[in-house]
Amino acid sequence: MNSTSKIIKLIFSFLFISLMSFSIIRLIPGDPVAHIVGERGASEERVQQIRKNLGLDKSIPEQYYLFTKNAVVGDFGESIVSKQPVWNEFKVLWPATLELSLVAIIWSSIVGLILGIIAAVKRNSVWDYGAVTLSTIGFAMPLFWWALIVIFFFAVNLAILPVSGRIAVEYDIPVKTGLYLIDSLYSAVPGAFWSALKHLVLPAFVLGTVSLALIVRVTRSSFIDIQKEDYIRTARAKGLKPSQVIFKHIFKNALPQILTALGLAFGQLLTGAIMTETIFSWPGLGRWIVKSIEARDYPAVQAGIFYSMIIIVVINFVTDELIKVVNPKMKEHINA
Amino acid sequence: MMKNKSFVIGIFLLGFFTLMALLAAVWTPYSYQEVIDGAALLKPSAKFFLGTDDLGRDIFSRLLVGAQFSLGIGIIVGGIAVVIGASLGVSAAFYGRRVDATLVQIMNAIQAMPSLLLALFVVAILGPGVVNTILSVTLVSIPTMFRLVRSAALVEVSKDYIVSARALGASNFRIIKSHLLPNCVTPILVQSAVCCSEAILNTAALGFLGLGIPAPYPEWGTMLSDSKNFIETSPQLMTIPGLCLLLLILSTQLISDGLRDQLDPKLRGRT
Repeated sequence: MNSTSKIIKLIFSFLFISLMSFSIIRLIPGDPVAHIVGERGASEERVQQIRKNLGLDKSIPEQYYLFTKNAVVGDFGESIVSKQPVWNEFKVLWPATLELSLVAIIWSSIVGLILGIIAAVKRNSVWDYGAVTLSTIGFAMPLFWWALIVIFFFAVNLAILPVSGRIAVEYDIPVKTGLYLIDSLYSAVPGAFWSALKHLVLPAFVLGTVSLALIVRVTRSSFIDIQKEDYIRTARAKGLKPSQVIFKHIFKNALPQILTALGLAFGQLLTGAIMTETIFSWPGLGRWIVKSIEARDYPAVQAGIFYSMIIIVVINFVTDELIKVVNPKMKEHINA
Repeated sequence: MMKNKSFVIGIFLLGFFTLMALLAAVWTPYSYQEVIDGAALLKPSAKFFLGTDDLGRDIFSRLLVGAQFSLGIGIIVGGIAVVIGASLGVSAAFYGRRVDATLVQIMNAIQAMPSLLLALFVVAILGPGVVNTILSVTLVSIPTMFRLVRSAALVEVSKDYIVSARALGASNFRIIKSHLLPNCVTPILVQSAVCCSEAILNTAALGFLGLGIPAPYPEWGTMLSDSKNFIETSPQLMTIPGLCLLLLILSTQLISDGLRDQLDPKLRGRT
């Protein structure tokens, strides 16, 4: 597949995503505006205004054209709850989710790689059984329950870490990147960085456990497969140190599989973020989507689903490209 | 089969929860929605085996009825996913060409969204409720079933026995029903257990977010969500439903692992 057809595929994904988020309001059985207004009740004037804001007063093709045109420039109309443009809300919230997911994926891939490698190298040892049990339970663990347990131990019993928000209220740091770890360092307010870090520990720990299970499992199984290959036996026979064999020969060949798993894990993080952010009152995209659905704030729901899917498409695209760089052999495999 | 450790543990756990659900059908100490006066947030005792929640409802009773919900939804969703996903998968492989291409595109489109987000999407349109929860959770589980069955059926379609069945004049329906489907039973069985576990997890997740099975039904996810505010004072509200949920999901995953190891020796030991 060449780059033209890749771009065509991306355009199709975009069209599909826009169609999905476009259809949310239109698929509601009955009159969507009556549903949105709900128990709140509203004057006839307000109802007409909402109808007009949502663009429901035009024909369906016209509505879709306008929706897509506005979506390209990030305009999803204004939120029914806050009466602010949806884009303004999104702009503030998404760095929070990004910061949380990045920290989660970084710690879980480091720990996951180490555990997976140890398990594969010392196969059938205590380490191996431990890693396998850990990842089996990790896969079955409902994230929200895990979060509650973590809160119970670290925040309630030991009372050492905060469980809600991104930074203590007394720190009013100027927001530049939206990533509080960087902003607080940059602001040079004493204690701000420490506070931001402390707020990040528990949510990132909980969120990362899902990807940890996946990374441990994939690393271990791909290491075990590659260890059986002839070229590994050759490498050992010619007298290379075990560490050289592991990192130069096995790791390099296991990397594509591990990277694929990482891409998958990053996509899953978004789902995990919905739960984690809700529990830890982390002001990010996931919590926003849930709150908007509860409040029947459909412009916000549309935007939330649209943006999260765009993020996922981009992540998948980037991982595919990365794998090709790391291992040219995979090129045909992915393109097929 | 019985030598397979994970399968045995899985069946044992699943049997335990089935007994719980059956018990709830014939007997619970109290009604799951009965609010007992002056009995809010009690510790476990002889009268209330697992204590009471913030409204004064018996947790043991609610836990038993909750098993019916989780298990029931898991089985219903698994069943629907098997019927729809497997028949679509087999048809796609059998008819090929346009049917295949269209179905694959549709399933890819559904799968492009992470499962919980898709379930939320459906709930956003239809609103929370028991039926809507089942609908949204089912929709999420069909594509994976479809893919696995399709790829298994694709291998079978080109084999000689299908060609000879056709040469003997068997109708398409007959070939699919008596030749293709029976040879794809392994992936269907394995994946149906996975569908169950995902359905249970997603239902609980929706319940936890307050967008799943509505009150007063004692779904385990909803119970966990109610327990959030009492972590400090009554941690048993949070530990017990969560542990049940974890063990139930674990049991279905162990069963699916065990089935795969047993029925598909090529994949043995690759978990």
